[in-house]
This record gives sequence, C-alpha cells and structure tokens, in this order.
Amino acid sequence: MSKKLITLTLLVVFLFTMSSIGLAQEKQIEFWTMQLKPTFTDYINGVISDFEEENPNIDVKWVDVPWADMEKKILAATAANNAPDVANLNVPFSMKLAELDALVDMDANLSDDVKDRYFPTVWKANTYEGETHAIPWYLSTSVTMYNETIFENAGLNPDNPPQNYWELLEMGRQIKEKTGKFIFLPPIAETGRYMEYMVREGIPLMNDDGTAAFNTEKSVEFLQLWARMYEERLIPEETVTEGHNAAVDFYQSGQAAILLTGPQFLSRIEENAPEIFEKTRVAPEISGSAQKVGVAVMNIAVLEQTEYKDASLKFAAYITNNENQLEFCKLVNILPSTKKAAQAPYFTEIDPNSVKDKAKKVSAEQLERAENLVPPIENQSQLNEVINQMVQNALLGKKSPKEAISDAETEWNNIMSN
Amino acid sequence: MKLRKTYTPYLFLVPALIFMGIFLFYPIVDVFRLSFTNYNMIQEASYVGNQNYQDLLNDPLFWKTLKNSFIYLIGVVPLLVILPIFIAILVNRKLKGIKWFRAAYYIPVVTSMVVVGIMWKWLYRGNGLLNYLLQTIGLINEPISWLTSTDYALYSVMAVTIWKGLGYYMVIYLAGLQSIPQDLYEVAQIDGANWWQKHLHITIPLLKPSILLVTILSSIAAMKVFTEVYVMTKGGPINSSKTLVFYIYEKAFENLNLGYAAAMGFVLFVIIFILSFINFKVLGQE
Repeated sequence: MSKKLITLTLLVVFLFTMSSIGLAQEKQIEFWTMQLKPTFTDYINGVISDFEEENPNIDVKWVDVPWADMEKKILAATAANNAPDVANLNVPFSMKLAELDALVDMDANLSDDVKDRYFPTVWKANTYEGETHAIPWYLSTSVTMYNETIFENAGLNPDNPPQNYWELLEMGRQIKEKTGKFIFLPPIAETGRYMEYMVREGIPLMNDDGTAAFNTEKSVEFLQLWARMYEERLIPEETVTEGHNAAVDFYQSGQAAILLTGPQFLSRIEENAPEIFEKTRVAPEISGSAQKVGVAVMNIAVLEQTEYKDASLKFAAYITNNENQLEFCKLVNILPSTKKAAQAPYFTEIDPNSVKDKAKKVSAEQLERAENLVPPIENQSQLNEVINQMVQNALLGKKSPKEAISDAETEWNNIMSN
Repeated sequence: MKLRKTYTPYLFLVPALIFMGIFLFYPIVDVFRLSFTNYNMIQEASYVGNQNYQDLLNDPLFWKTLKNSFIYLIGVVPLLVILPIFIAILVNRKLKGIKWFRAAYYIPVVTSMVVVGIMWKWLYRGNGLLNYLLQTIGLINEPISWLTSTDYALYSVMAVTIWKGLGYYMVIYLAGLQSIPQDLYEVAQIDGANWWQKHLHITIPLLKPSILLVTILSSIAAMKVFTEVYVMTKGGPINSSKTLVFYIYEKAFENLNLGYAAAMGFVLFVIIFILSFINFKVLGQE
C-alpha cells in the first residue's frame, strides 16, 4: 500500500516539475493599453495571437486600463516592482517616466531598419537628451470641424472656413451678433495646451538652456487676442476652467460653431448629436502665423523593470509595424506612424459624401507637415501649470497679458533652475 | 476560567486592529518617514532632512490652499451641523409618505460625487439652468460666473458638498431623535412652549452626542475635500478653489514629488487631529 503511495506521489511531483520547466521556457510579457476595450478587443487579440504564433515561446498578457487611470496604475505598479513589460502611453506621461529612467532607450536597442520605418518628425516626439524612450504608435492630427448652419445664419460662407487664429476675432463677433452662439472653446487654460498654440503662432517656447523664451511682443499680442475674445464672450467663460471635453460638449450641443479635435471624435458627435453631425463639415486645422500642424502621438514603451527586454522590444516593434498599423487605422479614424502604411490608398481614396472620410483624408494630408509641437521637457507638469495660470490670469483680466507673461517667465526660469 | 473571560473581548478586537495596523497606522507612520525624503515612486528615495517642511512654509500656494480648506471648513460645517437637525425634525413625523421624503433627501448621498459634480457643473454654466432660472424670476440681471469667477468658485463648490451631505447627517440625527422620550414634548406643550422653544430646549440639548459626531465627521470631510474640486474646477480659476488635499494630490501624482506631498499630508493630519481634539473638548462635556 505505502509503496504504491510513494510511487504515485513521486509521479505527481515528477509531472509538476516537468510542467513547470516547460512553463519556465515561456516568457510571459504583460502589455498595458489605454482604453482600447471593448471597441478594439478583437483587433488587439488578433495582433497578439499572430505574434505568439510567430514567437511560440513568448506569451503576451493583455491588460486594458481606463485612460484616466493609466498614470496612477503604472506608477503604483512600478513602485511595487510589478510594472508591465510593454505599455501604451501618451507623450507627456512617457516623458515623466523617462525623466526617472524608467523606460528603455529605443535608439540604442532597435536596429536601424526598424527605426527607419517611422516618420522622423514623429520619432522625435519621444526623443529627449539623445535617447528615444518610446516607439510612436498611432497618431492623430486635429481637423477643424464646423457647423455650416451656424455659419450660414451668421452670414459667413461655409465654403470658406477660417484658417488662422487671427480670423476668429471678427468671425466670432459676427457669430455672436447674428446668432448669439460662441465661436468655439479653445482649451488654452488647461494642461499647458496654450504652449501648442504659441508654437503654431511661431512664438519660441524656450532657449537652448531651458530658460523661457516666450516673453516677446508677439506673444503679448497673441495672448491679448484671446483675452479680448474672452472679454467679449466670443468664447465661453468656461474656457478658463474647462478644456477639451467641454469644447466637444459645446459643439455637440450646438452652442459653438467650431471644434478643433481629432477626426475620431466625429463618431462621438454622430452618436450623441446626429442633427449637429449632419451639419458638420471639416477643414484643415486652424493654425497660427507659423502655419504649423500638431500631431498627437500615442506610443509604445518598454519599461526598464522588464525581465524579458528582448521579447518586449520584439513585441513593441511588431505591434507598431506597417501591416498592423494599417489594419488598426481601418478600424478607426487614426493615422499610422510608419511611412509605408501612411502611403496606402486607404487614406486618399475616399467617399466624398462622407464627412468622416473627408476628415480622414484631411488629417492624413496634414501628416507630412505635422510635428509634435511641444518637445519633451523636464518638469513638464509644473511648467504646464505656469502656462495655465498665465492664461487664466490674462483671460480673467487679473493681470494684463504683458504682466502675466512676464510673471510666467520668472516662474518658468525658477522651476528650470531648481 | 476568570482569565479566559477577560481575554475574549480583546481577541475579538485583534482582527480589526491588525487590519487598521496594516492599512491605517503603518501608512501614517510611513508618510511621516516619506516626508523627510525626495521619493518619486520610481527611483530610490533619498533622505533630505526637513527640506520639505522648510519648502512648504515658504510656499505661497500651500498657505493659499490651507486658507481655502479653512474657508471650506467654516462655510460647510455649521450648515451641515445645523440644517440637517431641522430636516430630521421635519421628516420625523409619522405622516403618510414621509418615507419618500427621507429617501429623497438621501439620494444625493448615495449618488457618486463624480456624477453630482458633473451635474452641478452643467447647472452652474454661464448659460446653464441656475442662471436661467434666476434671470427668469428676476433675481439677477446678468448671469453669475459661479465656477469661473475667483470670487465665487470656492463657494459654489462648497454648496455642492453641503447639498450632497445634508441627507447623510439627517439620518444620524434621525437616529438620535428616536431616543428622545415623547412625553418631554407633551410636558412642554402643556407648559405652553411653541415649536421653536420645544426644539431649542429639549431636542437640541438631547441631541448633543449626535451633534458632536456630526461636527467631527463634517469637519474631517470638509478638510479632505477632493472629488468635487477635481470634477468641477480642478482648483481653478487661478487656484481660487484649490483645497489643500487637491494640492497634495497634484504634488504627489502630477509632479511626482511625493516627499513634499507627504510633508503637506502630515501637516494636514496634525491639523485634523487638533480639530477633532478641540471638538471633543468643547462638545464632549456635559
């Protein structure tokens, strides 16, 4: 009896050991994305299973995280030494992690032919001090969406949408007078977005040594423009405390004539406000005197804490390759970061009657000129706050634009010198 | 036999104590330790002495947010202590359908603060419902900038905290009212006391334990305010509605300066501790 028991026990132990050895050969990497479920569950699962087929000893575990929670979750996981291996991040956040040496340098670890796939201007979005800390994944350039009915009611020609910020003052006055509506809600008082506006206008942000360079006469005039629009209520008073979400709200509810955002938001407008969607037309993004076009970059980074650096790099390069990106772009109105995918006829052969298609074409056409307007800077969130306060003070008339900019310059330099 | 009797109650307390030890006492001690470092969640923390404390003394935003938190305290606590007493008295009658009123007052309490914040943000808009109503009935001529004026933003947010909290404290007082013997009121009635005198001389003194509880709870809640600020104004415009806890959150999770945030957190902890102590002294005596 006991002999049988001993044999049985040994057999079980043997089997367990063998299976755990088998498991040990498998490399398990954890991949976090920002809010891609449930819409893109099948797509991502497809990419993962294709990758696992080509790489039988790598197992990818996919975790999807709500947009707003990603930062906190990764920070908490990193602090607990439990960070994912590969993560989909946005540029400001990956910069925050890169500042603290938490990300793997892609320049040093990827081969040249992989790196060459990507648009150089977009690759630079993640370059800081000679290291590129993430691979650009999917992109979005903003387009101008406008409500043709409000334009017509205000006596403006819908075939002639505004192209630069300075036109908005007169147009705004006309819209307010004839229809009582706002022209749009510029998200300039939050998240340092005003810096992008300044770059589009051709106002320099900082000098080579990191000190502030935006205290110029042009800069004062530019801020004065927005302060005047705020004072005359051509833009809603909520500009001073709310941002992009409110901008979409105001447009969707028919209270604003224009919305500057990525084409993917057309789906949201179609769902929430079909009557506004019917009246929506698209045009290239309104810019400033420097005619620059911005691009929002989502990227794929590999965390330094990873146990399987090669496997993680392999997966990061795989999910951002031409074929996979093109497939993703066919599911939703985003753009690829790779040159070959962006040249696909998918982006130029469109249905002229579909506003979503037109938006896709316009945003793709802008891609060549597009750049990440605000380069990665250290202490980004503190500097953003300085700019936010500067704009809020000027809009509310608490400080004159000149004073607000001057004070912001001093604070910026203080932060950079610490 | 006698020994076992005295041990048993303590044994029952042990699990709760362990839980509190791990999730409450240990973090408090660790935050105190963190406040002497420059921890940023990713790299090893290094000791910086009391640099963080020195920095916060010289930080104008720390003092501004502390002041905002105190305004919050002074504005919200008296209203949340007094108003629910009267609401509780009103819903304490055995009228038909009174339960619906109690439920109605409690619904804001069980609604997520995020939802409440978004809802009130819409109501407070320049062309929102509140301005529309006030203008229609002629109370105001121009719309008021509830959340976008540095003068009003903080108070507008406070109003939402009060609105949401009324039902919570009403329930505490309701429970307290049940233990007041009805014959006291009958005696007072015979003596010719009116409604106001009855409640001033009977209800309120006998509700003292509940009042103490509500004062402490609402004081702590007022000092810890975060969600309403985050959803409605993000502390703006120009930091006028930024509370200390919101500033701590920003420092910790936006700027990744957890050492500094820990220092501010510890200062907040000491302030709340002192407040609670004062509360007990003032209201605890009979």
